[in-house]
Amino acid sequence: MSKIDVCNFCENNSSPTKRLVKEIESKIKDNTFKKKNFVWLELTGCSGNIISLLNGTNPDFEYLITQMVNWVYDNSLMVEQGEEAIEKLINVMDTDFILAVEGAVSTENNGLYNIIGRWKGEPLTALDTIKMLGEKASHVIAVGDCASYGGPSAATPNPSLSVGVPEILNRKVINLTGCPSHPDWFLGTLAHILLYGEPKLDEQNRPLLFYGTLLHDICTRRSYFDRGIFAEKLGDKTCMFKLGCRGPVTRIDCSKRQWNAYINWPIGCNTPCIGCAQFGFPDKMEPFISYDTTREE
Amino acid sequence: MGEKIKINPVTRISGFMEIEVTVENNEIVDAKTKGFLFRGVEKILLNRNPFDVVYFTERICGICSTAHSMASTLALEDALNITPSQQGKMLRDIAHGCEFLQNHIRHFYQYVIPDYVKIPEANTTYSIQHYDYRLPDKLNEEIVANYFKSLELSRKAHEMLAVFGGKAPHTHGIFIGGITAQPTSDKIIKLKSLLQEIYEFVSNVMVNDVYTISEYYSDYFEIGGGYGNLLSYGCFSDYDNVNLSYVNPSVYIDNKFLDFNSDMITENIEYSWYVSDESTYEPFETIPEANMDKTKAYSWVKASRYKGFPCEVGPLARQWLNGEYRKGISVMNRIIARVLETKRIAEIIFTLLDNIVPNIDVQQKYDIPNKTQGAGLIDTTRGALGHWLKIDEKTISFYQIITPTVWNFSTRDEKDQLGVAEKALIGTKVQDAENPVEIGRIIRSFDPCISCGTHVYTPNEKLRDIRIV
Repeated sequence: MSKIDVCNFCENNSSPTKRLVKEIESKIKDNTFKKKNFVWLELTGCSGNIISLLNGTNPDFEYLITQMVNWVYDNSLMVEQGEEAIEKLINVMDTDFILAVEGAVSTENNGLYNIIGRWKGEPLTALDTIKMLGEKASHVIAVGDCASYGGPSAATPNPSLSVGVPEILNRKVINLTGCPSHPDWFLGTLAHILLYGEPKLDEQNRPLLFYGTLLHDICTRRSYFDRGIFAEKLGDKTCMFKLGCRGPVTRIDCSKRQWNAYINWPIGCNTPCIGCAQFGFPDKMEPFISYDTTREE
Repeated sequence: MGEKIKINPVTRISGFMEIEVTVENNEIVDAKTKGFLFRGVEKILLNRNPFDVVYFTERICGICSTAHSMASTLALEDALNITPSQQGKMLRDIAHGCEFLQNHIRHFYQYVIPDYVKIPEANTTYSIQHYDYRLPDKLNEEIVANYFKSLELSRKAHEMLAVFGGKAPHTHGIFIGGITAQPTSDKIIKLKSLLQEIYEFVSNVMVNDVYTISEYYSDYFEIGGGYGNLLSYGCFSDYDNVNLSYVNPSVYIDNKFLDFNSDMITENIEYSWYVSDESTYEPFETIPEANMDKTKAYSWVKASRYKGFPCEVGPLARQWLNGEYRKGISVMNRIIARVLETKRIAEIIFTLLDNIVPNIDVQQKYDIPNKTQGAGLIDTTRGALGHWLKIDEKTISFYQIITPTVWNFSTRDEKDQLGVAEKALIGTKVQDAENPVEIGRIIRSFDPCISCGTHVYTPNEKLRDIRIV
């Protein structure tokens, strides 16, 4: 059916459909019907999630920005600088956009510990920016631990008084914990939003698709655990439990998914999982490495 | 009085930076480089399990996390009095080399190229265009294609790192004694084949691209020089049985080579938001306390100095010090040296891979002494990186980090000597003050990483509510 046929078909049908098609037609005419706008904010953190995202394969970054979304803003990659860059953030607010955030929100001294740009000469803090954009976005995705709940940026004694994005915003935030977040966890979540709407989430607002299984249950070294064969040092090939492995408390799919073009994962290089995808990392997951084989659980 | 220009954010760097310059008669006469991120990692590391600092300090920086695992591991080895085996050292250097490849390819194509090459506006992220693009259409088009092609190669460099390190960024493999994986034939050949692809791209494409740019922007051989004082802690050197030495610890100040001595490293807080009994101190001496009431301070980046001198660090410093590239010190020389180094590092990894004995486990069980201290100094992607740690009652009692970005983007010091990048900005002719393309090009040639370097605080600047209608 050609576009004209569709319209003729609609003319003779119910009015809601007619209105929708008219709306789309007018958007095509105004040139406003296009891919959803997308903003990637880097706040108080290491900017490691954008680097991790660049490691994505099928889809890769090029597919993401050409086929999936209209990538409007990101500090690490965009061509603009200075107020021209910030102007894009300001302009996107009146459009339909998805917001992804990496990094925590520093609240110390009214947010001045993390300034992400200037607008009309005044400093724009991470705190201002997330408040400004967070309420207006159609979806907010916190990518990585710092954005989800503070993460390493908020580790004791938390000198910058950093908190996660959900603590600042009065709205639902989808959390993609992990340090960094795997590119698939983000790209899969974004694809779900674009294709089917919000994915099913666990009680901590993480997509069950990725965070539904305890790592320990799907660990490639689980049989060693069951038989009581434990590694005594890094580099050993058996169960890392007694070295401090946090697989038993971490809900994530690293063992099945694997990292960097799906070739390896931390336990694959004979080190324990340090629980980086679990709330409370790093403070509650330490010590990461311990040779004390009588570790309390 | 000149005109003040502030650029914030300086995009296409890691982290947040503001540049403030004063322009008189189209010439930069004053400059301040400021970072805009404070986390206080040195404080966060206190009272933690010493082994954990290897993985913890990686979280300082997403683009050069492996650099911090190297420096922290070396500091622990120094503190625990452990000398890694030659195999352990070579395996670790291979992993570190992969980070160089990833970082340099991404820095050159994703961060630097858009300053010189007009990226088509296929996506909004590339929409702004300044006035000074000089490449003919055909060459411009070729380099744009390489911008996207390069994404595949930098990804593969991180894939190489994951072979020994489990994942990247924030890799797991580097540790006391070397690495944690055993180099088996399947891993070695995987690394070689990935490296072959990267090497071909770097030597056939990336090197050509940088020379193309240098031809059309040859004035940048004369812009952004700075002091010409150079420093390296050395890397990819000091092997027992392999004939390979990239750069040894070296210093070049006031046109003279000096013997490197780590005791000559100091930090100064005259213009930084810190107080301490002494405004100049050595790395093991003090972590100064935050203080927001110093009126002349403008940054929490401290001022690192060698024998009191500001020194440039990074690929150009390394290649100048080891004699491989001495065309000059400037924006274009920095960019060329980084690209040539990428090729050189790929060759170094080939050599190291050829000398690996397979199937050796270099790991042991380590004990933490009750009280000790250690330093880990090494040249990483962006230059000289040092970690200094003390252990008391088996936990971390002191942690000092001086990153390459602190060397290149320091503040003024007690003698009012400008930081390295500040000095590089001075004297630059700005063609159009409304659109000062020169500034971003100079800053990016140093590859700043503010996630690593800075703890900046802006005092007394009342925030105005931002209202958008």
